[in-house]
Amino acid sequence: MSTFQKGYVVAAILAVLTIVEYIFAISINDDHVRFAGLAIAGIAKAALIATYFMHIARAWQRNEAH
Amino acid sequence: MAVAAPVHHGQHVDRLFLNRIGLWFFFFSESILFGLLLSARFYLLRLDIPFEVKEDGSLHQLVSQQLGLIITIILLLSSVTAFTAETAIEHDRRTLAKWMLFATIVLGLVFAAGVGFEWHEAEFEKRSAFGTVFFTMTGIHAAHVISGIGMLTLSWSMLLRGGFSSKSHWGISSTVMYWHFVDVVWVFFYPALYLVDKV
Repeated sequence: MSTFQKGYVVAAILAVLTIVEYIFAISINDDHVRFAGLAIAGIAKAALIATYFMHIARAWQRNEAH
Repeated sequence: MAVAAPVHHGQHVDRLFLNRIGLWFFFFSESILFGLLLSARFYLLRLDIPFEVKEDGSLHQLVSQQLGLIITIILLLSSVTAFTAETAIEHDRRTLAKWMLFATIVLGLVFAAGVGFEWHEAEFEKRSAFGTVFFTMTGIHAAHVISGIGMLTLSWSMLLRGGFSSKSHWGISSTVMYWHFVDVVWVFFYPALYLVDKV
């Protein structure tokens, strides 16, 4: 899979998570369950962005010039 | 007259390493600021609610759920165009990089306008604690969005003038990383402000 394709797959997952997050929040009445679901979705989205868009793994690499 | 010392490849790589580490430390320090704002919002979770009680006893939400979702999708789209711009310059596809940076700037401006519209439409009372934290969180985030738009515009103008290549594109990479960081912050701000409390 090319770098472009990988990024677009991640973007699609982020879009789905955002829609699911919205539907989940407006349909769940229990405050604790809603908070837990939103926190898990938020952490998952942040991890995806940090890994695939912000390239966190590159932060510790010394041999890649650009 | 002083002569600048030549920069060797190894020094360049080390400088990039330091740039990256410095940028991540900057993100860490910014995360503390945004984390404190989130903690202020959750401290108010049971003290002040973002609803108005109408005369018939029904509750009216003071923030617009639809607008919140729309501007979130716009910011997410801008992250996709920013990612495409960075990947394009890594592959020397300059024309694609120019258009994608331009699209990111436009989407950022649309997001900022959406926040401005939300401020205009918001019906908070002046003494509302939630209103205060809402304006503070969205305001500081919007300030970061606007500074990001400024940096994207600078990178775009440098790209238009022939700057950057697949071998040297830290200016675009760092700006795009900053833009993604602003997106990550909104990933937590959006549910905290719009979705945690509901009627």
